[in-house]
Amino acid sequence: MSIPKLEFPPFHLPPEAEALRHEVRAFLKETLPKVRSEDRFASWNTFSPQFSRELGKKGWIGITWPRKYGGSEKSFLERYVITEELLGNSAPAGAHWVADRQSGPLLLRFGNEQQRESILPRITRGECYFSIGMSEPDSGSDLASVRTRAEPVPGGFRVNGTKVWTSGAHRNHYCIALVRTSGQHGDRHKGLSQLLVDLKTPNITIRPIINLAGRHDWNEVTFSDAFIPESCLIGNEGDGWLQVTSELAFERSGPERFMQNYYILRELVRVLGRQPAKRGAAILGRIIARLWTLRQMSVAVAGMMQGGKSPAIEASLVKDLGTIYQQDLPEIARVLAESDATTEEDMADFLDVAQYATMMAPSYTIQGGTTQVLRGIVARGLGLR
Amino acid sequence: MDKETRDMLLETADRFFAERAGKDVVNGVEKGVWPKDLWKEIEEMGLPLIAVPEDKGGAGGTLADMLAVMRLAGSHAVPVPIAETALANMLIAAADGVPATGPSTLALGDVVFEGNRLSGKVDRVPFAAVADHFVTVANAAGRPMVAVVSASNASINEVPSHAGEPYGTVTFDNPPCEFAEVSPVSAERAIELAALMRSMQMAGAADKVLATAVEYCKQRVQFGRPISTFQAIQQMLAELASFVAAVIASAEAAARDADEGGLADGGRFSIAAAKSQASEFAQRIAAIAHQSMGAMGFTHEHILHHYTRRLWVWRRDFGSETFWGEKIGSAFAKAGPQALWPSLTASRYAE
Repeated sequence: MSIPKLEFPPFHLPPEAEALRHEVRAFLKETLPKVRSEDRFASWNTFSPQFSRELGKKGWIGITWPRKYGGSEKSFLERYVITEELLGNSAPAGAHWVADRQSGPLLLRFGNEQQRESILPRITRGECYFSIGMSEPDSGSDLASVRTRAEPVPGGFRVNGTKVWTSGAHRNHYCIALVRTSGQHGDRHKGLSQLLVDLKTPNITIRPIINLAGRHDWNEVTFSDAFIPESCLIGNEGDGWLQVTSELAFERSGPERFMQNYYILRELVRVLGRQPAKRGAAILGRIIARLWTLRQMSVAVAGMMQGGKSPAIEASLVKDLGTIYQQDLPEIARVLAESDATTEEDMADFLDVAQYATMMAPSYTIQGGTTQVLRGIVARGLGLR
Repeated sequence: MDKETRDMLLETADRFFAERAGKDVVNGVEKGVWPKDLWKEIEEMGLPLIAVPEDKGGAGGTLADMLAVMRLAGSHAVPVPIAETALANMLIAAADGVPATGPSTLALGDVVFEGNRLSGKVDRVPFAAVADHFVTVANAAGRPMVAVVSASNASINEVPSHAGEPYGTVTFDNPPCEFAEVSPVSAERAIELAALMRSMQMAGAADKVLATAVEYCKQRVQFGRPISTFQAIQQMLAELASFVAAVIASAEAAARDADEGGLADGGRFSIAAAKSQASEFAQRIAAIAHQSMGAMGFTHEHILHHYTRRLWVWRRDFGSETFWGEKIGSAFAKAGPQALWPSLTASRYAE
């Protein structure tokens, strides 16, 4: 039959990556208790400049980047290990997360020398944070329909429009905005560009959008005749679509797509006690098996990427499965804890974090590409469209 | 065997299974017709001896080589005990025995070897009604024994599986053994290896279910166009692909870990996790595939049920998700929350 084979070749992270894992664990054991953080549970959504600077001192942000920009020229697999250890230990890694994952790599690949020199070293020191400027009020899954307009004017662009769901814009330094620099709204992929936007630029207004859990992560970022200098164009004018799709690949393939609420699983183990009943043990074991599988798949994708392949379909499958797992987890955990928790006291603490996890769960299958968009990508890979 | 040899073997086996273990053969087994030509050819190809050392008459392949062939066998629903025999022969060879010819099966469970006498009863023994030999790993005083009993010396009560394969209950009441030696593989480990073998067969079957559903939806025209062009169907099949991918990835990772860690105890946790994963997703895979294929997929005429029914049977064989989940859950609970992450990343049971 003619459908492409789904393969996730088992992959071992190399010894240097495993050696780094031990260093990272030792560092986190020492550092995490000293870091002030109300909600470490949110891990990569928790903003802690203090923690990011500590991590930067170790050289663990932008670890794959060239030395001249502050990187260590290590492999993608070493970065993978750092990432999963931060998640597995619920480290408050939110401040630098997007810059390390996608903004830095984007600048490295498409940015000009001045942009790289001025920004990348600051990212690696854990001092410079980024937001993603893709979505708009009328443009979510259909990203090519962006309306924010950057009109060429002497020395730069005059920008008008609105970006939404802009996580961290109220405390980050920059945002990489996808804007229309030429053509008309209906031109789709043509005429789009990416701009490096200093969020302190005059005529940019940042307003909070509070999520259902009462958290202020998101913002609405409005450009009203904001002037962005020409030197802030990333790559070529008109190449925005190509660039933004390469950025999305970084956004979708990482372990944060199944490790975001890992703390719920750890807490579940705690409240079940050392000797759960058979039924509870079986349910716990089945969830652990699913998480282990996801990690094997994700490591296999990392191995393929390191081998020079671009496993877009496989990455989409991992995000789809991983986020569905993350939505199942709080529900399974809550019901199991209600019947099998060992003490009342444990139970009260647990229900508190489980409630938070339940409230956050709808976001997993929306952010970074909705499940339906991802399944469209997979369907194309299966030859269905 | 080296990669080139293995790839060649897999290609040959794939073609062979497609040609010789087709729909009619699978349906025949369900009606009680033993495909003796198919079995003869499988033996001629040396597949039951693939993981037996050359000095014992085998092909000298590894556990991983054997498992790769079994994934293919699963993707063709090969209706003979090729996997059971290959693993049984590997266990016999590991105890320094020379495997006999003929189809064998694994009677693993509550079997005791005491004072040179074998006793016990095992339910749901695959291919019990057609096997020439029953191979078991029994717990003897402090050390496991591999024992082989001729079918004529065991009591067999055939209870066909829901996939129409001649499963049954086997009772040993102190029969003479064709072979009995101390085993480097424990009774518990033998079940693990059998679970791994089934996980790989399930990976093959799951892959075939996806391919079958995709092909069908591309052909089937309703409302004037192939149903594969409808978003509702595309979304279902993409979701199906994600579950199939999970089964394949977990089985392959467990096969790698078992192979690298050695026959006696390699990949213990990975195997448990892979079988739990495959068993848990078997239902989701079958459900979506059937929904996408409508009434046609629910007929006996179509081949889809050769695979979905096997997934439903195989998920119970050698431990379901409840069995393996309990092992994992008990170990991780006992070790406590601090051990969870380090154990997961090392693919080990928490201690």
